[in-house]
Amino acid sequence: MAQDGTPQLICLTASSGVPLFTRGANRQLPFSVIGSLNGVHMFGGSQGVVVSSSSTEGGGKVVWRVFQDSVMLIAVCRGGHGGAGSSSRAEQVFLQRLLENVWNCMVLVLGQDELGNVRNVERLKKDLRSCFSLIDQLLEDGQEGVFGNLTHCADSLLPPDPGLLQEAVDGFAKSADSEFGCLIVRGRIAAATEKWWRLAPQEVVLLSALVRSLAGSGTSSCDYPVFLPRGSPNVAHRLLRFQLLPGADVCILCGPTPSLHRAETRLVVPFWAPLMETLRACLAVGQHCLPASVSPRPDVMAVLLINRETRRCVTCVQPNLQTSDPPLPSRQRCWELLKLFYSFSVTRYFPQEDTLCVVPEDKDPRSNAEDFVLSFSHNPLQCYLVTEECKSFGLQTPQHQLFLLTPLSVPTFALQTLASQTLSDIVSATGF
Amino acid sequence: MASSKIQLDTEKTLPQTMEDTADVSDCESSSSFLSECSSDLEPEWLDDIQQNGELFYLELSEGEEEAALAQANAVATNHVRFSETEAEINSEKNKKHQCSSRTKKEPTLKKLARMLRRKQRTSQRREGKENPTLSHPPSILKNQPSQRQGVTVQQQHRKDVCVYLNPKRLGSSPLKSEKGGLLEALLGVIHHPSWGSGQMCTAVEGKEERLMVHGLIPNSPAIKCSRILIGDVLVAVDDIDVTTENIERVLSCIPGPTQVRLTLESVVDGNSLSDASLRKAKASPPVSQLVRLLWGGDTAELQMSIGHVPHVAMYLSLKLDSVSSKEEEEIWYQYPVSDASVQLKGVRGIFLTLCDMLENVTGGQIISSSLLLGKHLVHVGYRKENSNLLVIGLPAERVPLLYLQTVVGDLVRTLKVMYGSLDGAFCNEEHAPKLDHFFCLFFQQLIQPSRLRDGSSAPHPGASGALFLDGLPAVQWLPLPPEIKVQSKICVDTVLSDFESSDFGEMSEDFFGLRRMYVILGSCLFYRSYLIANHLPKEDLLDVCLYCQHYCLLPLAAEQRVGQLVIWREVFPQHRVSKDASTAPGYRQPPGRHFLLIVGLRHFMQCVLLEAGGCASPAPASAGPDCIYIDQAKATLLQLEALESGIEERLNAPPAPCLSCADWFLPSAATRDSLASSSPVFSKLTGAVKGASDSRGRGLFGDRSRRFSPQRGLSDSGSEGQGDAGLGSTPESPRKPGGRRNSLGSDGGGGLFKIPRMKHPNPFYLGTLRKTLTERETEEMYNTNKLTSGAENTLFHYVLMETVQGIFITPTHREVAQLSGSIHPQLIHNFHHCCLSIRAAFQQSLPGRRAADRPRAGGWGLGPIKEHGVLFQCKPENWTDQRKPAPTMTYWVIGRMLLEPVPQEFYVCFHDSVAEVPVEMAFRLSFGLAL
Repeated sequence: MAQDGTPQLICLTASSGVPLFTRGANRQLPFSVIGSLNGVHMFGGSQGVVVSSSSTEGGGKVVWRVFQDSVMLIAVCRGGHGGAGSSSRAEQVFLQRLLENVWNCMVLVLGQDELGNVRNVERLKKDLRSCFSLIDQLLEDGQEGVFGNLTHCADSLLPPDPGLLQEAVDGFAKSADSEFGCLIVRGRIAAATEKWWRLAPQEVVLLSALVRSLAGSGTSSCDYPVFLPRGSPNVAHRLLRFQLLPGADVCILCGPTPSLHRAETRLVVPFWAPLMETLRACLAVGQHCLPASVSPRPDVMAVLLINRETRRCVTCVQPNLQTSDPPLPSRQRCWELLKLFYSFSVTRYFPQEDTLCVVPEDKDPRSNAEDFVLSFSHNPLQCYLVTEECKSFGLQTPQHQLFLLTPLSVPTFALQTLASQTLSDIVSATGF
Repeated sequence: MASSKIQLDTEKTLPQTMEDTADVSDCESSSSFLSECSSDLEPEWLDDIQQNGELFYLELSEGEEEAALAQANAVATNHVRFSETEAEINSEKNKKHQCSSRTKKEPTLKKLARMLRRKQRTSQRREGKENPTLSHPPSILKNQPSQRQGVTVQQQHRKDVCVYLNPKRLGSSPLKSEKGGLLEALLGVIHHPSWGSGQMCTAVEGKEERLMVHGLIPNSPAIKCSRILIGDVLVAVDDIDVTTENIERVLSCIPGPTQVRLTLESVVDGNSLSDASLRKAKASPPVSQLVRLLWGGDTAELQMSIGHVPHVAMYLSLKLDSVSSKEEEEIWYQYPVSDASVQLKGVRGIFLTLCDMLENVTGGQIISSSLLLGKHLVHVGYRKENSNLLVIGLPAERVPLLYLQTVVGDLVRTLKVMYGSLDGAFCNEEHAPKLDHFFCLFFQQLIQPSRLRDGSSAPHPGASGALFLDGLPAVQWLPLPPEIKVQSKICVDTVLSDFESSDFGEMSEDFFGLRRMYVILGSCLFYRSYLIANHLPKEDLLDVCLYCQHYCLLPLAAEQRVGQLVIWREVFPQHRVSKDASTAPGYRQPPGRHFLLIVGLRHFMQCVLLEAGGCASPAPASAGPDCIYIDQAKATLLQLEALESGIEERLNAPPAPCLSCADWFLPSAATRDSLASSSPVFSKLTGAVKGASDSRGRGLFGDRSRRFSPQRGLSDSGSEGQGDAGLGSTPESPRKPGGRRNSLGSDGGGGLFKIPRMKHPNPFYLGTLRKTLTERETEEMYNTNKLTSGAENTLFHYVLMETVQGIFITPTHREVAQLSGSIHPQLIHNFHHCCLSIRAAFQQSLPGRRAADRPRAGGWGLGPIKEHGVLFQCKPENWTDQRKPAPTMTYWVIGRMLLEPVPQEFYVCFHDSVAEVPVEMAFRLSFGLAL
């Protein structure tokens, strides 16, 4: 059951308005409401007006989007107390990203052809059930420290021993006749082949999400057909996933060969058995994401670092050591604040660049946020917020974006130095 | 009786009297003696009063001062004859009259109005004398040769001349001519029917004839525009061809004060000697679109120019009434009725559906929607009242979604102030034309603000700036040093209080034992769009200010354009009307009606809030403007005119706290080169002044603690040029070394060229002080006047808003203009744009602030935001130097919300080099800032 505050997602066929599925939220919307929401958009379309979003008091929001002229997705977010209105999942950016992700996820599982021309609605409804676990995961946005859905940058983990793991992934993929291989530790990419990184950022994010959801099913290995929303929306590839340790999975994208059984028996053991200790060390890094050699200053509560060129991001929240007054926000709250601050900065000051890789016809009808960002006559470089809970600082360089949270005790004028120091520390130590 | 004496003087020698108009006693007693003069003159605005008593009368002064004076002279010589004894007798009579019936007071008031107006003119004339460049009527003789030559050298060419005409003046003018008709009386063009045709004395009556200008009447509009020459032929008026036959009819069709375009055919001689003088003579600029719009002129053209931008205002009914057979019955009101709104009107079903449905779905009233119309992104704001829905559609590039709610909120509040409620405004068909006008102004201001103000010299703050500053729940306040406020024995507050006491002597109802018509709740005074005194409660001030903003009255008064402004209308101040206001238990607002009176004379504008009912007598159904109150307000303004010089001095003074120009921080290669090569003199000068002015330069500030001059040695050189060397100069102290400073020293000279006109406060206070102040003391003063810390002044711009008093301070237009520079305007635009975002963040996170406008249940995710800053980087434009990368300059824009000790919002923009604590800056700035 979805937790309270989760946005509700409605999927309909764009032409006929037949509901395909609804996910999220405890309380199902009555059909009349779903029908009106769809009708409003459909009517506007006939008049040359595209309704893209609406917001209500208390932070409620509705976002519409039609994909490929065939599928309509509507996200509804309740406002007010206890609703999603006050969480990061009610941000316009999140909702827009959510619709994009859900569509990509549907393509990933079913392929673009089947979604593009709906011939048999009943069959499509049945087929779509296989996406539900992935969609639910996107909706709930539950896993701590996973920002990929929001940033469209692959969540990465910087292992203590990157060279060894990189070698192993490269060798493993090559022996399986594939150029795409990747090692995922605690839901984040620890190492991947170069071609893997060349996939569109959304694909990388989505594949990581898929692996997470497959790993959650408890099987030790699986063979899953996937369509790549950008790379090959109509031809399926095989995603082979093998669990090395609980929390550590390796996967490859490949053609008809090798078979799952052959790969599992012949390839996995020789490549990965010698690396068990390294993998354990990796797991130990855990959600910290950064190797022990790099530790941000103690007065940095949480960090989100994005490499704008490679489209990767690392995140970390430091455990609260000292007690202070007022008490520091909890770990969970830190993640939430970091997400909120990211959304805040990105809507207003630091435009997201990944819209470039969106297929033109799917391109988001110019989100209003970007309009605001683009009309600055000078270039925003940094921004900060002081709230009642903490101070947040964001910084943008041509290569990186850094967002961090600090306790209120850190003087505001020191934030700038603190941030640039943190950035240079991490970059010089890990080459991220 | 001193006043009478002065009046007698007026009669004989006008100019002399002018010197005395500043005298307080004159103005104060004006009400008592002016009533005696005998004339049946009516106030000009009397005809403009509408059925329901509303009045909007606007008259420009520019270019018509002389004309006004001409009439005033005539009036004075013809009518004003009185001595002390006569006056007394008259007043006795008048009193009796007035006692017997209240209505008979009218004529007296008209007289008063006329007298006041005359005084106004005379003071205008005084200004003309002092400043001879203001108007220089060209000599008629000088122009005559061109006419003579014109006869021989035939080279026809047409020219358009804009002339400001005011037919209302005619009524009072004894010149109302028998012979020349309107052509002479109104325009000032003399045409002798017989001359042109060459027929002496035997003019053929009724024959159509070209309108040759045979002469010009002194001080008439025609001569003052200095482009109508004797010998020209008047061909058309506003594109209507005119001849002797129809000219009178055409001119008589001009209803009120307006600007007309005359097309003249002039004869220019071959070598065109007069051309040079023609070009020099400054033609009066065409009246700006805004004024035309305010005059209720044709809006079609303006509307057409934004026809491609989708926008709409609609008031829709959510109730379905199947009985009514009217078409489009769910639309109460719609504007504009043009292509711009067709699409949005077509989808009104969406707005109705969403409004009705979303409340149940998301648990809150709908606020906004974003729609994509072709390529245009349009944001739609909603406001539901009872069972009706107001829908405002605005293009996203003009109004960011972040700020849409503020814009809609202000619009709704303005409408409520004017009409009581949205239903009251839209559901009454009589209001439709006025609402059209209202929304025309609204959309023009938002969509093409620059066009509305073209032809005006006032610097425009830019779209974001206007959006941000207008959206603040506050009015721009001009901090005046106390010595200005009580200058010449006039204390602004005392004068206003005197007025508010309604003690109008024998003009007041009290005097006749009648119940008061109105109670004056309070008033506020603007000078050139800055608030300088306020006796209104904050909420009332905001209501009044919203009205003024909407009708662009403040920028209008900022220019030298308002000859006379009288506005009277019923208003519904929001906190007085709302019954559930959180007033003390047992207290109820008196149930009365409220009226807003705005009187403007030149740069001054006084807004008065009146209450009828309550403890005053209840007002009649459509209460019109009352002459006494208007005249008294005018008298108050005239009395305050003595302050003008002081305020002007303050406005011309260098900014306090001192500001830096962004360009100074960017070494500009071109400027430096040219400086080094072309002007060695200047660089020497700069050095010399630096040394010389170091010690004495600071003495100035001893007296004016909140005044300061610009930085970095620019002022040194500037003041050198003015001859009062070092008076306003900042200490360009050689004792403060440091790499940056030295590097900037060189381009300090660069700024020299940009700011040669830098004005400095006058040196009157300086003489004694600068000797007595030691170096150390002046240094301290320097520091108190600099808002930023560190050796250099790094402050670019600021806005400080006092929420409790509803005022904000920011550098005045002139202070910004003084800084000039090429990057600085960009920076200010960027600052305002960023402030939109910062303020939106504050608003979103603070539920209680505008509780009335939008109750917010859930907190925003990030929690209340106290401070928010953004660092920007800018580069000079057109960087041509290929070898080096363009230099960059980084600056912070920071917003800070303060709740203690008084709620304030502070927005500041400063250079990155020094770390600042905005709280401290806000404190320093707000210290001593009080009404």
